[in-house]
Formats: sequence, C-alpha cells, structure tokens
Amino acid sequence: MIEAAPIMTPSRTPMQQVQASLARRRRKQITLQVLGIGAISAAILMLGLLLTTLTLSGRHALTQTHLTVQVFIDPAEIRADRLPRGGFDDVVTAAIAALIPGADLSNREGRREVSAISSNGAQFLLRDLVVANPALIGQTIALRFPVSDPYDQLFKGLIDRATPEANRRLNDAQIARFDALVAAGAVSTPLNWGLLFNADSRFPELAGLRGALMGSFWALLTCFVIAFPLGIGAAIWLEEFAPRNRISDLIEVNINNLAAVPSVVFGLLALAVFIGWFGLPRSAPFVGGLTLALMTLPTIIIATRAALKAVPPSIREAALGLGASRQQVVFGHVLPLAMPGILTGTIIGLAQALGETAPLLLIGMNAFLTSAATSPFDASTALPTQIFLWADSPERGFVSRTSAAILVLLTFLIVMNALAIALRKRFERKW
Amino acid sequence: MNPTKISACNVNVFYGASQAIKDVSLELADKSVTAFIGPSGCGKSTFLRCLNRMNDTIDICRVTGDIRLDGQDINAASVDPVQLRAQVGMVFQKPNPFPKSIYDNVAYGPRIHGLTQNRTELDEIVESSLRAAALWDEVKDRLRQPGTGLSGGQQQRLCIARAIATRPEVILMDEPCSALDPIATAQIDDLIHQMAQDFCVIIVTHSMSQARRVSDRTAYFHMGNMVEYGETEQIFINPREKLTETYVSGRIG
Repeated sequence: MIEAAPIMTPSRTPMQQVQASLARRRRKQITLQVLGIGAISAAILMLGLLLTTLTLSGRHALTQTHLTVQVFIDPAEIRADRLPRGGFDDVVTAAIAALIPGADLSNREGRREVSAISSNGAQFLLRDLVVANPALIGQTIALRFPVSDPYDQLFKGLIDRATPEANRRLNDAQIARFDALVAAGAVSTPLNWGLLFNADSRFPELAGLRGALMGSFWALLTCFVIAFPLGIGAAIWLEEFAPRNRISDLIEVNINNLAAVPSVVFGLLALAVFIGWFGLPRSAPFVGGLTLALMTLPTIIIATRAALKAVPPSIREAALGLGASRQQVVFGHVLPLAMPGILTGTIIGLAQALGETAPLLLIGMNAFLTSAATSPFDASTALPTQIFLWADSPERGFVSRTSAAILVLLTFLIVMNALAIALRKRFERKW
Repeated sequence: MNPTKISACNVNVFYGASQAIKDVSLELADKSVTAFIGPSGCGKSTFLRCLNRMNDTIDICRVTGDIRLDGQDINAASVDPVQLRAQVGMVFQKPNPFPKSIYDNVAYGPRIHGLTQNRTELDEIVESSLRAAALWDEVKDRLRQPGTGLSGGQQQRLCIARAIATRPEVILMDEPCSALDPIATAQIDDLIHQMAQDFCVIIVTHSMSQARRVSDRTAYFHMGNMVEYGETEQIFINPREKLTETYVSGRIG
C-alpha cells in the first residue's frame, strides 16, 4: 500500500497553517473589494462625465434670448380685410429699428440687416395675434419674440467678440446694432419653454420637442397596448400551461434569441412587413409602436416568466389542493403575486423602447415635420430620432438643443426606472 | 374498523424512469386516522398525493393502478381533479396560507366552489371552520389581517381551517407538524383527533410518537413498498415484519 502524502508539514500545527492562510485570504478579499469599488467608481465617473458635458452644452438651450419691442400695427401695412396676409415682417422690423440709433430702413440691405435680428417666427407670432384679434390693428402692443440664432449665441457669449471679424458669424456693425438693443433694455433671456412646447423648425431658436414627445408618446402607447397583454399571455401559457416538449423548448429558445436580435433588424422587418405588405403609413408612430412592440415583447415575456417562476410553489399547491382550477390558480394567486415583477420588467422594456433609434429611422420617423402628431397615424418623429436629426443639423443653435434633448430623454428614462423601483417596493410581499 | 372510504389496488407511481411506489394496495377507513410512516424517500408522500391527484401537476409523474373513493375510480376520465380535490382536502408540510387576510384564506374554498349563497352563510362557514381548527378564539378580532402574520402553528391551523371550509370528506396531511414546535404540534394532534369524528384523515409523519398518538391504523413504507399495514398498537408493539421492527424501534431512520 502506498503511504498517503502528508496533509501538513509536520513542523507546523494546523492552527499555524490556518493563520498562515489567513493573510492570503485577507489579501484576496481586499483585492476583490478594491476591484469592485474601482469598477463602480469608473462607472460613476463615466456617468458623471456624460451628464456634465451634456449639462454644460445643454444649459444654453434652457434659456432663449428674446427681444421685447413696442410694435405699432400699422393699418397701412396690415389690413383687416386681407388677413391673414399683410406686412407683418415690415411692422416688426420697423419696431426693432426704432430702438437702434441710425438704423436705415430706406434700402433692402438695411431692412434685411435689422430684420435678421428677429427670429423668422416673430412675424408669425404677430400674425397669429392679429388674426385672433383684428381689433389690434392700429394699436401699439408690446411683443416678445425670440432673436435669431446668431444673436442668441452672441448674447449667451458663445460668439467671441475678440475673434477677427472675418472669422466671426456676426460683423462689427451687426454686433453694434444688437448692443444698442441690449442698451435699450429690450433683450431678455427667459426660460426656454419652447424647447418642450414648440414643434420642430429649421430655425434653432424656434425648434422644440413637442413633435418628438408626441411621437414617442403615441409610439410607446401603441407598444404598451400591444406588447403588455401579448407578452403576459405568452408568458403565462409558456410557464403555466404549455406541455414541456420539443416545441415549447424551441419556442423558449427563440424568444430568448429574439431578445438579442439587433434593433435595426426589427426596423427592416417592420419596413418590409408593416409598410411594404400591410401598406401602413410611413413615419407613423403607430408603425413605430408596432416595431417597438416586437422588440419589447421578448423582454416582457422573459421578465414575466421570471416573475411567475418566483411565486413559491407552495401557493400553487395550496390553491390546487383546495380544488382551484389551473386558471383560478393562475389568475387568482400567481399573477397578482407576480405583478410587481411583471410591471418592473414591462417598464424597463418600455424605457428601452423609448431610447431605441435604429428601427424608427428605418420606418421613416426621422422626417422633418413642423407640426406635432395628433394621432398615432400622423407622421412624426420620436425623441431619439429628433436627437439624431438635430445632431445632424449645421446651425450652431442645434448643438446645445441636441444636448438638451438628450437630457429630456434621460429624464424620462430616469423617471420610468424610478417608477419601476417604486412599484416593486410598493407591492413587494412577504410570504 | 369503520367502513372503507378509499381503496387502493396495485398502485404504481413512476417519476420518469424511476419507480417511486411499487404495487401498493390498501384500504383506508372512514372517520378514523391513518398514519403513513417510513424513512425519507420511501414514497409515503407520493402515495398520499395520489389520493387527490396532486401528482397530476408534475409533468413526469405517472400513476397506474386503481384508486377508489366510495367505490368511484378517481383516475377515471370522467372525474375532474378539481371536484376530487374539493372532496379530498390537503394540508401541506410547510404552512402555506395565501398572502390574503385570515378571513379570505378560509373563505377561498367556499367561494371558488360556490358553496354559499350569501355573506352570512360564508361568515358562518369561516367561523365554524376556524372553530374546528381551534383558531377562532385567537383570531376572531383580526380576521381582516394577513394570514401570513400569524405564528407557524397558527398558520398551520389556518391551513387546516381552510381545508375544512370546503367541507371535504377526506383530509390528507403531509407532515403537517414538521415545521412546528412541540406545543404547536400537540395542538395539531388534538385537532386531528377531533377531525377523525367527521373526516377520513390520512397523515404522513416522520414522528413515530405522533403516529402513535394520533392514528388508529398505521402503514409502514420502505423503498416504495408498503411493508406492513395494521392497527397502530400492533405496528408499534408487535410488528410482523423485520423491516418495520427495525424502523419503529428506532434502529434506522
């Protein structure tokens, strides 16, 4: 018989060996902790960096430089019988020029220089006011409107006056005219509510997210209405009723695979099927919602199945033992207990869908639209595609608006995730 | 022995390829307590679960043989397990009240089976069931509080009340006291005695002293076989089989 190798060195007692190993174990423990803390710190740092850059750039879009002038609604230019047509542009230009000493409106060049200070939207603002109340013709009213993007940039200090004139977007004469307006106390920077309540525009000072918000709202609503009941139904059948055989295994594997399919593929599918075959309208949030539902469905099914599985079998047995039918067990006991988990999974799935860009680009939800959708079938953009559009726009004003739009999107995501956590905490049960 | 309530003949149970119950035949008397004893994994719980077809819920489980309740084959195609389980109630090893109020726990069975016409009748059933489970005095002032807030022994008595409330004829108890302390166990033991006046009670237990205290007849299971079945006194004092003797004398198990 072979003698067994000695378990310990004879010179050391077991206690000494344990002590010797203690230092090693402690070292490993500390290494693990340092690595963990390091990983979390790195993540927090990255997140902080992201939020800081976004905020630094996006804060400029939180306010908008406005001009307040006394507009004389000249009956010679604007006639009640010709509304909504009229020389609204000229009236506004004249009002601005009144505040600039030496402004020359006699030639076209001079008129254009003054007119360019105001946003293109100013004349429409005035037009809407007058059309709504024609009695204003002949009166002088105070009108506040956004200034155009270059002057907005100038007032926010984003255009450096020290730059040589040739490299500057505004020449010395233009700056001097604007400074005269500032000196006259006509310039203010109120909060930029237009960012949330205006639709998109070619002019950054007028562009807002209303179209994108409405588009995302309709798309998410469609997605929820379709994916939530379908997902829960599929999960209940798979988890509670399906026989365990090759077919159900195959379905299960495929659902898990679907969750990993790149979103752009769903976009192509939607383009081919929903728009190509079914002839649904392009750019519509309804189609976007259908596409997002396809993507969210696997997430909801997987989350629901996990939540159903987590319900202790003792509850099922108790109900079955009392003579409850399987349907009564599922709907009376299992589903209510699994609801918090299901809702959490659904909200997280919807939050993913909210940020999804690629499939929406493929079905045309990146069209330039100056009005917000009023139904899921109107053409629309969505938050992520609007960000994509703005990021692609050459005007300087869109830089800060892109960051601001990302912050809006992130805010919605954080709110949705917070809601998921709150629901879980609220409905968590002990058994 | 009282008239036979349940008769089982040549029952075999398979989990996939492995056989858990081998050719068991026995008759269970009405209005009495029968105990199933034996070492872990001997099949006593599996056999118990055949009696209300709880094994149906396990995909890989297959039951053969003839089990009759009042002469009616419970595995016949015409028998709905839902109806059978209303007739044959069950109390589980771990107290498993629903995460609902005490009242709703007891009222659940009568509600799903439509046993009552109105609220008063339901109230009566809840009260009589809780009284029968010797729990009424402890919970009558907090019927609306969650059943999960009770102590372990109270929870198990709540589960017994819940089982009684559907007015079953047979009550199966699967190690009902394994999670309870001796005082709670003694209360349940008293209950089982009481219940034997109205029901056919079948209890699986690991505690030989409990089997001896509460049961009229005892069946000893070993490795899927029913080794011996007879009057409890006889099984414990004068077992016919060597296997039974080694187990009840405490030499194994």
